[in-house]
Amino acid sequence: MTQNQRTAEKAQVAKAAAAAAPRRLTFWEQYRRKPQGVAGLLIVALYIAVAVFAPVVSKYDPMEDMYLADNIAVPIWLTKVNPRYRELPPTMQFNLGFDSWEVTAADGVEVTGWEFEDAEGISIDLPATEAPEPVEGEDGADTPPDSEDSGELFSIVSNVQWDPFGLVTSGQGTSRDEADEAVSLDFSFDYDYKKPQTFSASMGYHIDAPSDASTFIELDLVTPSGKAFDLWDTTAYGSVSNGSFIVDARDFDLKMRLGISFFDEPADVVFSERGTYTVRVKARSDSVSGPVNVRIEPVSFGVLGLAHGLLGTDHMGSDLWAQLVYGTRIALAIGLSAAFIAVFIGTSVGLIAGYLGGIVDEVLMGVVDVLLSIPTMPVLIVLGALFGKSVMNVVILLALFSWMGIARIVRSQTLSLKERTFVEAAKAAGGSSNYIMVSHILPNTMPLIFANLVLRIPSAILTEASLSFLGLGDPRVPTWGRMLQNARQFGAFTKMAWWWMLPPGIALTGLAVAFVFIGNSVNEILNPRYRERS
Amino acid sequence: MALLEVKDLKMYYRTARGHVRAVDSVSFEIEQGKALGIAGESGCGKTSMASALLRLLPSNGSYHGGSVVMDGKELLTMSEEQFRKDIRWKRISMIFQGAMNALNPVHKVGEQIVEAILHHEDVSREQAVKRTHDLFGLVGINPKRFNEYPHEFSGGMKQRAVIAMALACHPDLIIADEPTTALDVMVQAQILKSIAELRQRLNLSMMLITHDLSVIAQTCDSVVIMYAGKVAEYGDVVDVYTRPAHPYAMGLVNSFPNIQAARTEVRSLPGFPPNLLAPPSGCRFHPRCPLADEECKQVEPAVREVGGNKHMVACHKAEIVQQGGDIWSR
Amino acid sequence: MGFRSYLLKRLFYAVVVLFVILTFNYVLFRIMPGDPEKMILDPNFTPEAKMELRRQYGLDDPPLTQYLNYMKSLLTFDLGMSFSTRRLVWSELRERLPNTIVLFMVTFVGTAALGISLGVSSAANRGKFSEQLVMGAGLFAHAVPSFFIQLLLLLLFGYYWPILPIHGTISAPPPDGAWAQFLDRAWHLILPAGSNIVIGFGSWALYTRNTMLEALGQDYIVTARAKGLPRREILYHHSLRSVLPPIVTLIFMSLPGAVSGAVITESIFSWHGVGRYLLDATLQMDYPAAQGAFYLIALAVIISNLLADIAYGLVDPRIRVGAGAKR
Repeated sequence: MTQNQRTAEKAQVAKAAAAAAPRRLTFWEQYRRKPQGVAGLLIVALYIAVAVFAPVVSKYDPMEDMYLADNIAVPIWLTKVNPRYRELPPTMQFNLGFDSWEVTAADGVEVTGWEFEDAEGISIDLPATEAPEPVEGEDGADTPPDSEDSGELFSIVSNVQWDPFGLVTSGQGTSRDEADEAVSLDFSFDYDYKKPQTFSASMGYHIDAPSDASTFIELDLVTPSGKAFDLWDTTAYGSVSNGSFIVDARDFDLKMRLGISFFDEPADVVFSERGTYTVRVKARSDSVSGPVNVRIEPVSFGVLGLAHGLLGTDHMGSDLWAQLVYGTRIALAIGLSAAFIAVFIGTSVGLIAGYLGGIVDEVLMGVVDVLLSIPTMPVLIVLGALFGKSVMNVVILLALFSWMGIARIVRSQTLSLKERTFVEAAKAAGGSSNYIMVSHILPNTMPLIFANLVLRIPSAILTEASLSFLGLGDPRVPTWGRMLQNARQFGAFTKMAWWWMLPPGIALTGLAVAFVFIGNSVNEILNPRYRERS
Repeated sequence: MALLEVKDLKMYYRTARGHVRAVDSVSFEIEQGKALGIAGESGCGKTSMASALLRLLPSNGSYHGGSVVMDGKELLTMSEEQFRKDIRWKRISMIFQGAMNALNPVHKVGEQIVEAILHHEDVSREQAVKRTHDLFGLVGINPKRFNEYPHEFSGGMKQRAVIAMALACHPDLIIADEPTTALDVMVQAQILKSIAELRQRLNLSMMLITHDLSVIAQTCDSVVIMYAGKVAEYGDVVDVYTRPAHPYAMGLVNSFPNIQAARTEVRSLPGFPPNLLAPPSGCRFHPRCPLADEECKQVEPAVREVGGNKHMVACHKAEIVQQGGDIWSR
Repeated sequence: MGFRSYLLKRLFYAVVVLFVILTFNYVLFRIMPGDPEKMILDPNFTPEAKMELRRQYGLDDPPLTQYLNYMKSLLTFDLGMSFSTRRLVWSELRERLPNTIVLFMVTFVGTAALGISLGVSSAANRGKFSEQLVMGAGLFAHAVPSFFIQLLLLLLFGYYWPILPIHGTISAPPPDGAWAQFLDRAWHLILPAGSNIVIGFGSWALYTRNTMLEALGQDYIVTARAKGLPRREILYHHSLRSVLPPIVTLIFMSLPGAVSGAVITESIFSWHGVGRYLLDATLQMDYPAAQGAFYLIALAVIISNLLADIAYGLVDPRIRVGAGAKR
């Protein structure tokens, strides 16, 4: 049954039964009977809960946490549902402390834990060797270590450094060098996905060694078939404090060092297999004059996922679910505050114009008419650009261009209230204009004002979303409008990333619908004669 | 034979909380050339009855039995199309409550009358216009104002125009629903006077609905007093006014000392009008009645004749009431 | 108050609004961030060249002179030269104006026609499907952000099911022949105008339905029924005719909103029109361009308002004839 039928029926009952109802129902008792109103209230309550508990609902903060996955990652659940996205890798981020490693150490080498900040690093004590052996690369020419490389058309053979242990060791060949290795740390993980677009590794290290000692550290990634890719290595002379490195699959350096074709991506080459991959850190020293201590900070190794979280990521690898959740705060804050300010201005103007009448009324209503006939959006665009893109400015602008309707309604209500006996009586009793307006007229316009306040909120929210969408919102704040703008601007269409576009739009719609429901229900109860004009 | 015979008419409104029995087993008749007044508190079903007779029910209203017979023809079972063409306005027309809004503001007043004539009679437009001019003259409006819009008419003139419109197709019966409510006293008197004159001149029957008993006393031959959708008392005006048999009617009538004296509105009697969604058991008036006893609470009184001359009443205690004495002052 | 004085009053009012908007426009673009000189003056220019440019753009005159010149030039459509394209703003706008007018008119007429007819039919057939449709569409129009629907349509018809053009006003290169070009333009119009109609008709329908129901509940409709008029007569001659004034009022009320919608629509569908020009110019701080576009839009709204005023006067006898004109 529709609202209007119900209103019509109510009118009929009123006519027929002539106010036979024993007792007027309270506002809440009437409100409870309106399913739309109750639904609206529940939805708004849900949004408020999400806004308040945003940090609980979302693991990430949209402003802080970037690059959580690759850009425009699909939602995790979608990889289970849609064959097109099946087996896309999630983000794998390992922070490898002492406990994570499987240690293989030569005799005399001691590997212990080492307190580093909040995680545990690894401390390796390498004993001095008996006979010095040259480790430098003078005689490196005779060892073209990698047969793999030579086959590549565009390969740049990595003669950057000669590696006596073989850059890429074939599965069966590893045994040759293993004996020479002082220590080898292994961490294995399963990778059963399609190829990622990128991976990265980083590590910090410290070496305490005699000045004549050279120490060698290397980071490998070993594929399930046993192919080892040397992602990074270094030969250090003497002590090193605060050494560190970052490897990123998108860096051109890595392509060169892995000897990969110009057109291939390291991630494609390295993660071409499925199974158990191993991150391996190797260290060795040729110190003769004394023991060497190598301390390795927890190693971070990560594959940037192509699937992430509930809603995937945007073009910056930022979590979309987090943006959606935190967007609730902004939407509610903007909607409520803009509506409040607009209603405040509109009520004041309407009261004053209606009560004082005469020239004041003419002028104020003239202003209202002029403002009403100005197209809001172009003005907001221009003003938004003028006053700078901040949430505060948007709120003020929205309020300044949306109070006119309320002013008109309050004015006409005031005009009719002004003629009522109780106002006449208050006047006769010598009440001042201010007193009569505030104490006698204002309370009687409250129902109207309240209903308008509720109905103003969704339009403020939608207008703000439009502004954000046009690129005039606050760039520092995650709003639903900006999510949609980003989606449009940064490739959601070409990737058909509907999960980027639907949620903010639906969130906006849901919130607006809820407020419209509430506003209509309130209106039906408080102002049965007032029919809201779209 | 009576012109219009209403028997056991029941018309209810369907609402979310059940049926509102706005017209519940109402019977009366109107003789050719006579006037019947219908009185009662607002909400007692007076206006509903008017719309029931013209079959102008709102979408949630429906008939639940009874019959309305005019000149031996049953009106309720007639096809909608036939009723619209042959009965509405042609046989029964209506003067509406609040003439302010009874005229469409965007059409010329004269045209609204011409329109009614053209839809019911096979006459040329010129003839219809001519007749409208005559009607204007009849009700005391300058025919030159044919082409004016309602907003250019004063309240009294609008009411006259509405009366002219009601007369447009020479109906047999005019239902006048509170024809003078919205007008000031002087104009009211004039309008009532011209209605009475026209009625005599054209030998019209009329059903006058009002809450103003003195108006009925002045203009009507018989009267129906309704309470909560039912007929409380029905009879000749003189009989009902001089020897009321229903406590409710007595309360109304006694609230003015002399029929010819000042106008008196239905006095609000103690208590509330009943809720028609769940009317009281037995006699619907018993919660407010000073004479009510156990029988009144249990048994619904039948409509019966008291003292001859078709003076009907629905009350167990009619005899006690008629003995006189102000039962309301006990 | 006669019809003539009503018209004069509305005309006077329109002039006042125009004046207010022009002044507002002037003040606004003077205090915009970013020094306009920096936009047009290359630091490598010689001081003489800079002076010349300043003179050319009239930046050296006193504010009042600038203001008067500005007023005069706007009234003659001398809107200056765009900072970014170095073309005359008026010629750029003139090129886009037909596109915007076409989009706007198609949208407006389509929305109003669909909305009003659905509103009337749902008021006439209470409790039927059309009524549910209208209630739903009204809510939809009120609560769904228009650009969101347009984005979805863009995604649907541009990528998932690419059958409609999602971009621009005409194919590049345009087809040969006037008829083919017309069809091509109409083809490009489907998504932008169609989406606007889909979004907008609900509020019209709901409004029409509500005013119709209000009218149908009026005493004069009961009178018309009692007079034995046929249903159609009552519906069209009495109800619809009497709600025309409020419907014309709706035109007033929805014009500014329709313009706002047009800006967004043009931006989404890369429509070569005035609204998108305004947005781009504003974002690039191209003042003369933004100012010109804003002026043109404001002028269009004022003129349409005036036309609606006249229409209102024509349909409401209370204004057309005699006393008590009050809107």
